[in-house]
Amino acid sequence: MMKVKDGDLDKLGLLFERYNRPLYSFFYRKTFESQLSEDLVQSVFERMLKYRTTYSGTGSFTTWMFSIARNAHIDHYRKEKRRREDEILDEEQIPGEVPAGYAEMDERNQKKMLLEKAIEQLDEDKKEVVLLSRFEGLRYQEIAEIQGVTESAVKVRMFRAMKELKQIVTTLSEEYSHE
Amino acid sequence: MSEKNQKLIADYLQGTLDDEGKKQVEELIAKGDIDFIDFRAMEQLHDELDMIQVPEPSKGMSSRFYTMLEEEKENIRGSIQEIIREKLSEFLNQVTMPRVAYAFILLIVGGFVGNQMGNNDSEIKELTSEMQTMREMMMVSMLEGPSTTDRLKAVNISAQLPSVDQKAIRALLFTLNNDESINVRVQTIEALTRWGDDPMVREGFVKAIANQDDDIVIVTLADAMVELGVKNSANEFQRLIDEKDLTGATKQKVENTIAVLL
Repeated sequence: MMKVKDGDLDKLGLLFERYNRPLYSFFYRKTFESQLSEDLVQSVFERMLKYRTTYSGTGSFTTWMFSIARNAHIDHYRKEKRRREDEILDEEQIPGEVPAGYAEMDERNQKKMLLEKAIEQLDEDKKEVVLLSRFEGLRYQEIAEIQGVTESAVKVRMFRAMKELKQIVTTLSEEYSHE
Repeated sequence: MSEKNQKLIADYLQGTLDDEGKKQVEELIAKGDIDFIDFRAMEQLHDELDMIQVPEPSKGMSSRFYTMLEEEKENIRGSIQEIIREKLSEFLNQVTMPRVAYAFILLIVGGFVGNQMGNNDSEIKELTSEMQTMREMMMVSMLEGPSTTDRLKAVNISAQLPSVDQKAIRALLFTLNNDESINVRVQTIEALTRWGDDPMVREGFVKAIANQDDDIVIVTLADAMVELGVKNSANEFQRLIDEKDLTGATKQKVENTIAVLL
Protein backbone atom coordinates (compact mmCIF):
# COMPACT_ATOMS: atom_id res chain seq x y z
CA MET A 1 0.00 0.00 0.00
CA MET A 2 2.95 2.31 0.63
CA LYS A 3 3.83 1.97 -3.07
CA VAL A 4 0.26 2.91 -4.02
CA LYS A 5 0.55 5.92 -1.72
CA ASP A 6 3.78 6.89 -3.50
CA GLY A 7 2.01 6.87 -6.86
CA ASP A 8 2.52 3.30 -8.11
CA LEU A 9 -1.21 2.71 -8.61
CA ASP A 10 -0.69 -0.63 -10.39
CA LYS A 11 0.23 -2.13 -7.03
CA LEU A 12 -3.42 -1.67 -6.02
CA GLY A 13 -4.13 -4.45 -8.54
CA LEU A 14 -1.96 -6.76 -6.46
CA LEU A 15 -3.90 -5.80 -3.33
CA PHE A 16 -7.18 -6.36 -5.19
CA GLU A 17 -6.11 -9.85 -6.29
CA ARG A 18 -5.13 -10.71 -2.73
CA TYR A 19 -8.01 -9.18 -0.82
CA ASN A 20 -11.11 -9.01 -3.02
CA ARG A 21 -12.35 -12.43 -1.89
CA PRO A 22 -11.95 -11.87 1.88
CA LEU A 23 -13.70 -8.51 1.50
CA TYR A 24 -16.47 -9.99 -0.64
CA SER A 25 -16.98 -12.82 1.87
CA PHE A 26 -17.08 -10.33 4.74
CA PHE A 27 -19.77 -8.26 3.04
CA TYR A 28 -21.70 -11.30 1.82
CA ARG A 29 -21.94 -12.77 5.31
CA LYS A 30 -23.04 -9.36 6.57
CA THR A 31 -25.73 -8.79 3.94
CA PHE A 32 -26.35 -12.12 2.13
CA GLU A 33 -26.64 -10.12 -1.11
CA SER A 34 -24.15 -10.87 -3.91
CA GLN A 35 -24.55 -7.70 -5.98
CA LEU A 36 -24.48 -5.43 -2.95
CA SER A 37 -21.34 -7.20 -1.68
CA GLU A 38 -19.61 -6.62 -5.03
CA ASP A 39 -20.63 -2.94 -4.94
CA LEU A 40 -19.22 -2.59 -1.45
CA VAL A 41 -15.92 -4.24 -2.47
CA GLN A 42 -15.67 -1.71 -5.30
CA SER A 43 -16.43 1.08 -2.85
CA VAL A 44 -13.61 -0.08 -0.54
CA PHE A 45 -11.03 0.01 -3.34
CA GLU A 46 -12.32 3.40 -4.53
CA ARG A 47 -11.85 4.71 -1.00
CA MET A 48 -8.37 3.19 -0.78
CA LEU A 49 -7.45 5.16 -3.89
CA LYS A 50 -9.13 8.32 -2.68
CA TYR A 51 -7.60 8.22 0.80
CA ARG A 52 -4.27 6.60 -0.13
CA THR A 53 -2.31 9.60 1.13
CA THR A 54 -3.75 9.08 4.63
CA TYR A 55 -2.29 5.57 4.87
CA SER A 56 0.44 5.76 7.48
CA GLY A 57 1.80 2.22 7.25
CA THR A 58 2.18 2.05 11.02
CA GLY A 59 -0.59 -0.51 11.71
CA SER A 60 -1.45 -3.62 9.76
CA PHE A 61 -2.85 -3.18 6.26
CA THR A 62 -5.68 -5.64 6.97
CA THR A 63 -6.86 -3.54 9.91
CA TRP A 64 -6.85 -0.40 7.78
CA MET A 65 -8.69 -2.18 4.97
CA PHE A 66 -11.42 -3.60 7.21
CA SER A 67 -11.84 -0.18 8.87
CA ILE A 68 -12.61 1.21 5.42
CA ALA A 69 -14.91 -1.76 4.75
CA ARG A 70 -16.74 -1.10 7.99
CA ASN A 71 -17.27 2.56 7.08
CA ALA A 72 -18.41 1.66 3.57
CA HIS A 73 -21.03 -0.65 5.03
CA ILE A 74 -22.16 1.91 7.63
CA ASP A 75 -22.56 4.55 4.89
CA HIS A 76 -24.55 2.15 2.77
CA TYR A 77 -26.71 1.18 5.74
CA ARG A 78 -27.46 4.85 6.51
CA LYS A 79 -28.44 5.60 2.91
CA GLU A 80 -30.57 2.48 2.77
CA LYS A 81 -32.29 3.40 6.03
CA ARG A 82 -33.19 6.84 4.68
CA ARG A 83 -34.50 5.29 1.47
CA ARG A 84 -36.62 2.76 3.33
CA GLU A 85 -38.18 5.38 5.54
CA ASP A 86 -39.87 6.67 2.41
CA GLU A 87 -41.34 3.33 1.56
CA ILE A 88 -44.51 2.01 3.14
CA LEU A 89 -43.83 -1.65 2.60
CA ASP A 90 -41.05 -3.67 1.11
CA GLU A 91 -40.90 -7.23 -0.07
CA GLU A 92 -38.79 -8.56 2.73
CA GLN A 93 -39.84 -11.46 4.81
CA ILE A 94 -42.05 -10.64 7.79
CA PRO A 95 -40.27 -11.49 11.08
CA GLY A 96 -41.41 -14.83 12.45
CA GLU A 97 -42.50 -16.13 9.07
CA VAL A 98 -41.01 -19.46 8.02
CA PRO A 99 -38.63 -19.00 5.03
CA ALA A 100 -39.87 -20.41 1.74
CA GLY A 101 -38.95 -24.07 1.23
CA TYR A 102 -37.68 -24.53 4.79
CA ALA A 103 -39.89 -27.58 5.52
CA GLU A 104 -38.64 -29.39 2.39
CA MET A 105 -34.93 -28.89 3.20
CA ASP A 106 -32.75 -31.62 4.68
CA GLU A 107 -31.40 -31.16 8.17
CA ARG A 108 -28.07 -29.69 7.07
CA ASN A 109 -29.66 -27.04 4.87
CA GLN A 110 -32.16 -26.19 7.59
CA LYS A 111 -29.25 -25.67 9.98
CA LYS A 112 -27.46 -23.52 7.42
CA MET A 113 -30.54 -21.35 6.99
CA LEU A 114 -31.02 -21.03 10.75
CA LEU A 115 -27.41 -19.89 11.11
CA GLU A 116 -27.81 -17.31 8.33
CA LYS A 117 -31.04 -15.96 9.86
CA ALA A 118 -29.40 -15.88 13.29
CA ILE A 119 -26.33 -14.00 12.01
CA GLU A 120 -28.65 -11.49 10.33
CA GLN A 121 -30.35 -10.78 13.66
CA LEU A 122 -27.16 -9.95 15.55
CA ASP A 123 -26.43 -6.27 15.96
CA GLU A 124 -23.73 -4.95 13.62
CA ASP A 125 -20.93 -4.70 16.21
CA LYS A 126 -21.37 -8.26 17.42
CA LYS A 127 -21.82 -9.55 13.88
CA GLU A 128 -18.55 -7.90 12.84
CA VAL A 129 -16.63 -9.43 15.73
CA VAL A 130 -17.87 -12.91 14.80
CA LEU A 131 -17.18 -12.47 11.07
CA LEU A 132 -13.74 -10.90 11.45
CA SER A 133 -12.61 -13.33 14.10
CA ARG A 134 -14.19 -16.56 12.84
CA PHE A 135 -13.83 -16.13 9.07
CA GLU A 136 -11.16 -13.53 8.39
CA GLY A 137 -8.78 -14.69 11.11
CA LEU A 138 -8.26 -11.26 12.68
CA ARG A 139 -6.99 -11.12 16.24
CA TYR A 140 -9.15 -9.48 18.90
CA GLN A 141 -6.61 -6.65 19.17
CA GLU A 142 -7.00 -5.90 15.45
CA ILE A 143 -10.80 -5.98 15.69
CA ALA A 144 -10.54 -3.62 18.66
CA GLU A 145 -8.64 -1.12 16.48
CA ILE A 146 -11.26 -1.39 13.75
CA GLN A 147 -14.16 -0.89 16.15
CA GLY A 148 -12.38 1.72 18.26
CA VAL A 149 -12.83 -0.14 21.55
CA THR A 150 -10.57 -2.10 23.91
CA GLU A 151 -9.48 -5.67 23.27
CA SER A 152 -11.35 -6.71 26.44
CA ALA A 153 -14.57 -5.22 25.08
CA VAL A 154 -14.15 -7.20 21.85
CA LYS A 155 -13.69 -10.46 23.75
CA VAL A 156 -16.81 -9.81 25.80
CA ARG A 157 -18.68 -8.95 22.56
CA MET A 158 -17.52 -12.22 21.03
CA PHE A 159 -18.76 -14.24 23.97
CA ARG A 160 -22.10 -12.43 24.05
CA ALA A 161 -22.52 -12.70 20.29
CA MET A 162 -22.03 -16.47 20.40
CA LYS A 163 -24.41 -16.79 23.33
CA GLU A 164 -27.01 -14.72 21.51
CA LEU A 165 -26.51 -16.70 18.30
CA LYS A 166 -27.12 -19.92 20.20
CA GLN A 167 -30.32 -18.48 21.67
CA ILE A 168 -31.59 -17.17 18.31
CA VAL A 169 -30.90 -20.50 16.57
CA THR A 170 -32.87 -22.35 19.27
CA THR A 171 -35.79 -19.90 19.12
CA LEU A 172 -35.98 -19.87 15.30
CA SER A 173 -35.71 -23.65 15.14
CA GLU A 174 -38.70 -23.97 17.47
CA GLU A 175 -40.71 -21.31 15.62
CA TYR A 176 -40.11 -22.85 12.22
CA SER A 177 -40.88 -26.41 13.29
CA HIS A 178 -44.17 -25.39 14.95
CA GLU A 179 -45.62 -23.66 11.90
CA MET B 1 -20.79 -15.46 34.32
CA SER B 2 -17.96 -13.10 35.16
CA GLU B 3 -16.41 -10.98 32.39
CA LYS B 4 -13.09 -12.64 33.11
CA ASN B 5 -14.55 -16.05 32.25
CA GLN B 6 -16.34 -14.63 29.20
CA LYS B 7 -13.02 -13.35 27.86
CA LEU B 8 -11.40 -16.70 28.60
CA ILE B 9 -14.05 -18.50 26.52
CA ALA B 10 -13.64 -15.95 23.71
CA ASP B 11 -9.90 -16.71 23.67
CA TYR B 12 -10.66 -20.43 23.69
CA LEU B 13 -12.96 -20.07 20.69
CA GLN B 14 -10.31 -18.20 18.72
CA GLY B 15 -7.75 -20.85 19.54
CA THR B 16 -5.33 -18.45 21.18
CA LEU B 17 -5.34 -20.01 24.65
CA ASP B 18 -2.07 -21.53 25.80
CA ASP B 19 -1.89 -24.77 27.83
CA GLU B 20 -2.27 -22.90 31.08
CA GLY B 21 -5.39 -21.11 29.83
CA LYS B 22 -6.93 -24.39 28.65
CA LYS B 23 -6.22 -25.91 32.03
CA GLN B 24 -7.92 -22.94 33.64
CA VAL B 25 -11.04 -23.51 31.51
CA GLU B 26 -11.10 -27.19 32.50
CA GLU B 27 -10.85 -26.26 36.18
CA LEU B 28 -13.70 -23.72 35.87
CA ILE B 29 -15.86 -26.37 34.18
CA ALA B 30 -14.99 -28.88 36.90
CA LYS B 31 -15.95 -26.36 39.59
CA GLY B 32 -19.21 -25.57 37.78
CA ASP B 33 -18.31 -21.91 37.19
CA ILE B 34 -18.64 -22.59 33.46
CA ASP B 35 -21.60 -24.74 32.43
CA PHE B 36 -20.14 -27.62 30.42
CA ILE B 37 -23.24 -28.14 28.24
CA ASP B 38 -23.48 -24.44 27.36
CA PHE B 39 -19.74 -24.34 26.67
CA ARG B 40 -19.85 -27.36 24.34
CA ALA B 41 -22.93 -26.00 22.54
CA MET B 42 -21.15 -22.70 21.95
CA GLU B 43 -18.01 -24.45 20.69
CA GLN B 44 -20.11 -26.60 18.35
CA LEU B 45 -21.98 -23.55 17.04
CA HIS B 46 -18.64 -21.81 16.44
CA ASP B 47 -17.56 -24.80 14.30
CA GLU B 48 -20.90 -24.98 12.50
CA LEU B 49 -20.56 -21.40 11.25
CA ASP B 50 -18.46 -22.93 8.46
CA MET B 51 -21.76 -24.04 6.92
CA ILE B 52 -22.43 -20.47 5.80
CA GLN B 53 -21.00 -20.67 2.30
CA VAL B 54 -20.15 -17.67 0.17
CA PRO B 55 -20.86 -17.79 -3.60
CA GLU B 56 -18.21 -16.78 -6.16
CA PRO B 57 -18.28 -13.09 -7.06
CA SER B 58 -18.98 -12.36 -10.73
CA LYS B 59 -16.19 -11.65 -13.24
CA GLY B 60 -17.70 -8.17 -13.50
CA MET B 61 -16.30 -7.26 -10.08
CA SER B 62 -12.76 -7.60 -11.35
CA SER B 63 -13.53 -5.72 -14.59
CA ARG B 64 -15.10 -2.82 -12.70
CA PHE B 65 -12.10 -2.56 -10.42
CA TYR B 66 -9.52 -2.49 -13.21
CA THR B 67 -11.57 0.00 -15.24
CA MET B 68 -11.79 2.25 -12.18
CA LEU B 69 -8.04 1.92 -11.61
CA GLU B 70 -7.22 2.82 -15.20
CA GLU B 71 -9.57 5.82 -15.09
CA GLU B 72 -7.83 7.04 -11.95
CA LYS B 73 -4.43 6.61 -13.56
CA GLU B 74 -5.57 8.53 -16.60
CA ASN B 75 -6.96 11.32 -14.42
CA ILE B 76 -3.58 11.66 -12.78
CA ARG B 77 -1.83 11.70 -16.11
CA GLY B 78 -4.10 14.48 -17.31
CA SER B 79 -1.41 17.12 -17.59
CA ILE B 80 -1.47 19.55 -20.51
CA GLN B 81 1.55 17.86 -22.02
CA GLU B 82 -0.18 14.54 -21.87
CA ILE B 83 -3.37 15.93 -23.42
CA ILE B 84 -1.40 17.39 -26.33
CA ARG B 85 0.44 14.12 -26.81
CA GLU B 86 -2.77 12.11 -26.74
CA LYS B 87 -4.53 14.48 -29.15
CA LEU B 88 -1.64 14.08 -31.53
CA SER B 89 -1.75 10.37 -31.08
CA GLU B 90 -5.51 10.34 -31.62
CA PHE B 91 -5.01 12.28 -34.83
CA LEU B 92 -2.45 9.76 -36.03
CA ASN B 93 -4.75 6.93 -35.13
CA GLN B 94 -7.66 8.34 -37.06
CA VAL B 95 -6.63 6.07 -39.87
CA THR B 96 -8.45 3.31 -38.00
CA MET B 97 -11.63 5.38 -37.68
CA PRO B 98 -12.90 4.67 -41.21
CA ARG B 99 -13.07 1.01 -40.23
CA VAL B 100 -15.32 1.81 -37.29
CA ALA B 101 -17.40 4.20 -39.40
CA TYR B 102 -17.75 1.52 -42.07
CA ALA B 103 -18.97 -0.94 -39.43
CA PHE B 104 -21.63 1.52 -38.24
CA ILE B 105 -22.81 2.20 -41.76
CA LEU B 106 -22.96 -1.55 -42.34
CA LEU B 107 -25.16 -1.91 -39.28
CA ILE B 108 -27.55 0.89 -40.28
CA VAL B 109 -27.82 -0.31 -43.87
CA GLY B 110 -28.26 -3.87 -42.66
CA GLY B 111 -31.03 -2.82 -40.30
CA PHE B 112 -32.78 -0.80 -43.02
CA VAL B 113 -32.58 -3.58 -45.60
CA GLY B 114 -33.73 -6.11 -43.07
CA ASN B 115 -36.74 -3.97 -42.22
CA GLN B 116 -37.64 -3.58 -45.89
CA MET B 117 -37.39 -7.26 -46.67
CA GLY B 118 -39.39 -8.57 -43.73
CA ASN B 119 -38.23 -10.52 -40.73
CA ASN B 120 -37.31 -14.01 -41.65
CA ASP B 121 -34.85 -16.08 -39.67
CA SER B 122 -32.01 -16.02 -42.15
CA GLU B 123 -32.03 -12.23 -42.34
CA ILE B 124 -32.04 -11.92 -38.59
CA LYS B 125 -29.13 -14.34 -38.42
CA GLU B 126 -27.31 -12.35 -41.07
CA LEU B 127 -27.89 -9.12 -39.20
CA THR B 128 -26.75 -10.68 -35.93
CA SER B 129 -23.64 -11.92 -37.67
CA GLU B 130 -22.97 -8.44 -39.08
CA MET B 131 -23.38 -6.90 -35.64
CA GLN B 132 -20.97 -9.48 -34.26
CA THR B 133 -18.47 -8.63 -36.99
CA MET B 134 -18.89 -4.94 -36.24
CA ARG B 135 -18.28 -5.44 -32.54
CA GLU B 136 -15.19 -7.52 -33.28
CA MET B 137 -13.88 -4.80 -35.60
CA MET B 138 -14.51 -2.17 -32.96
CA MET B 139 -12.76 -4.33 -30.42
CA VAL B 140 -9.69 -4.88 -32.62
CA SER B 141 -9.51 -1.15 -33.43
CA MET B 142 -9.80 -0.17 -29.77
CA LEU B 143 -7.12 -2.72 -28.79
CA GLU B 144 -4.71 -0.88 -31.05
CA GLY B 145 -5.57 2.51 -29.52
CA PRO B 146 -3.33 4.61 -27.26
CA SER B 147 -5.77 4.89 -24.34
CA THR B 148 -5.47 2.19 -21.69
CA THR B 149 -9.11 2.67 -20.68
CA ASP B 150 -10.20 2.07 -24.28
CA ARG B 151 -8.07 -1.05 -24.49
CA LEU B 152 -9.61 -2.32 -21.26
CA LYS B 153 -13.07 -1.58 -22.67
CA ALA B 154 -12.10 -3.50 -25.82
CA VAL B 155 -11.12 -6.51 -23.73
CA ASN B 156 -14.42 -6.27 -21.87
CA ILE B 157 -16.32 -6.11 -25.19
CA SER B 158 -14.60 -9.33 -26.23
CA ALA B 159 -15.70 -10.99 -22.99
CA GLN B 160 -19.33 -10.22 -23.88
CA LEU B 161 -19.20 -11.68 -27.41
CA PRO B 162 -20.98 -15.02 -27.82
CA SER B 163 -18.13 -16.25 -30.02
CA VAL B 164 -14.93 -14.85 -31.51
CA ASP B 165 -13.08 -15.52 -34.74
CA GLN B 166 -9.39 -16.23 -35.20
CA LYS B 167 -8.63 -12.58 -35.98
CA ALA B 168 -10.06 -11.42 -32.64
CA ILE B 169 -8.17 -14.15 -30.79
CA ARG B 170 -4.94 -13.13 -32.54
CA ALA B 171 -5.55 -9.50 -31.50
CA LEU B 172 -6.15 -10.52 -27.89
CA LEU B 173 -3.06 -12.74 -27.81
CA PHE B 174 -1.00 -9.90 -29.30
CA THR B 175 -2.32 -7.68 -26.49
CA LEU B 176 -1.42 -10.30 -23.90
CA ASN B 177 2.15 -10.45 -25.18
CA ASN B 178 2.75 -6.77 -25.88
CA ASP B 179 0.45 -4.44 -23.96
CA GLU B 180 2.35 -2.16 -21.61
CA SER B 181 -0.49 -2.14 -19.05
CA ILE B 182 -0.53 -4.94 -16.49
CA ASN B 183 -4.26 -4.44 -15.96
CA VAL B 184 -5.03 -4.84 -19.65
CA ARG B 185 -2.96 -8.04 -19.78
CA VAL B 186 -4.70 -9.47 -16.68
CA GLN B 187 -8.13 -8.73 -18.11
CA THR B 188 -7.07 -10.19 -21.47
CA ILE B 189 -6.20 -13.49 -19.79
CA GLU B 190 -9.61 -13.57 -18.13
CA ALA B 191 -11.35 -12.76 -21.43
CA LEU B 192 -9.37 -15.39 -23.38
CA THR B 193 -10.09 -18.01 -20.72
CA ARG B 194 -13.70 -17.95 -21.95
CA TRP B 195 -12.46 -19.31 -25.28
CA GLY B 196 -10.17 -21.81 -23.59
CA ASP B 197 -11.45 -24.73 -25.66
CA ASP B 198 -9.96 -23.18 -28.80
CA PRO B 199 -6.54 -24.77 -29.56
CA MET B 200 -5.24 -21.38 -30.75
CA VAL B 201 -6.01 -19.84 -27.36
CA ARG B 202 -4.41 -22.72 -25.46
CA GLU B 203 -1.28 -22.61 -27.61
CA GLY B 204 -1.20 -18.81 -27.35
CA PHE B 205 -1.37 -18.98 -23.57
CA VAL B 206 1.55 -21.43 -23.42
CA LYS B 207 3.69 -19.23 -25.70
CA ALA B 208 2.77 -16.10 -23.69
CA ILE B 209 4.21 -17.49 -20.44
CA ALA B 210 7.80 -16.75 -21.46
CA ASN B 211 6.94 -13.12 -22.30
CA GLN B 212 5.64 -12.20 -18.86
CA ASP B 213 7.62 -10.43 -16.17
CA ASP B 214 4.94 -9.12 -13.88
CA ASP B 215 3.86 -11.10 -10.80
CA ILE B 216 0.12 -10.45 -11.17
CA VAL B 217 0.11 -11.50 -14.83
CA ILE B 218 2.12 -14.66 -14.11
CA VAL B 219 -0.17 -15.62 -11.22
CA THR B 220 -3.29 -14.96 -13.34
CA LEU B 221 -1.84 -17.04 -16.19
CA ALA B 222 -1.05 -19.85 -13.75
CA ASP B 223 -4.66 -19.82 -12.49
CA ALA B 224 -5.96 -19.87 -16.07
CA MET B 225 -3.75 -22.83 -17.02
CA VAL B 226 -5.03 -24.82 -14.05
CA GLU B 227 -8.64 -23.86 -14.79
CA LEU B 228 -8.28 -24.92 -18.44
CA GLY B 229 -6.08 -27.94 -17.64
CA VAL B 230 -3.36 -26.96 -20.15
CA LYS B 231 -0.86 -29.61 -19.10
CA ASN B 232 1.80 -28.69 -21.64
CA SER B 233 2.17 -25.28 -19.99
CA ALA B 234 4.05 -26.97 -17.11
CA ASN B 235 7.33 -27.03 -19.09
CA GLU B 236 7.05 -23.31 -19.90
CA PHE B 237 6.41 -22.51 -16.24
CA GLN B 238 9.45 -24.59 -15.26
CA ARG B 239 11.54 -22.63 -17.77
CA LEU B 240 10.17 -19.40 -16.28
CA ILE B 241 11.37 -20.46 -12.83
CA ASP B 242 14.78 -21.49 -14.20
CA GLU B 243 15.38 -18.40 -16.29
CA LYS B 244 13.72 -15.55 -14.42
CA ASP B 245 14.25 -14.21 -10.95
CA LEU B 246 10.69 -14.60 -9.61
CA THR B 247 9.70 -13.27 -6.20
CA GLY B 248 9.14 -15.81 -3.41
CA ALA B 249 5.32 -15.89 -3.44
CA THR B 250 5.13 -15.99 -7.25
CA LYS B 251 7.73 -18.74 -7.49
CA GLN B 252 5.78 -20.74 -4.92
CA LYS B 253 2.57 -20.21 -6.87
CA VAL B 254 4.18 -21.34 -10.14
CA GLU B 255 5.67 -24.42 -8.45
CA ASN B 256 2.23 -25.33 -7.08
CA THR B 257 0.74 -24.82 -10.53
CA ILE B 258 3.30 -27.16 -12.09
CA ALA B 259 2.52 -29.77 -9.42
CA VAL B 260 -1.20 -29.52 -10.19
CA LEU B 261 -0.68 -29.69 -13.96
CA LEU B 262 1.64 -32.72 -13.93
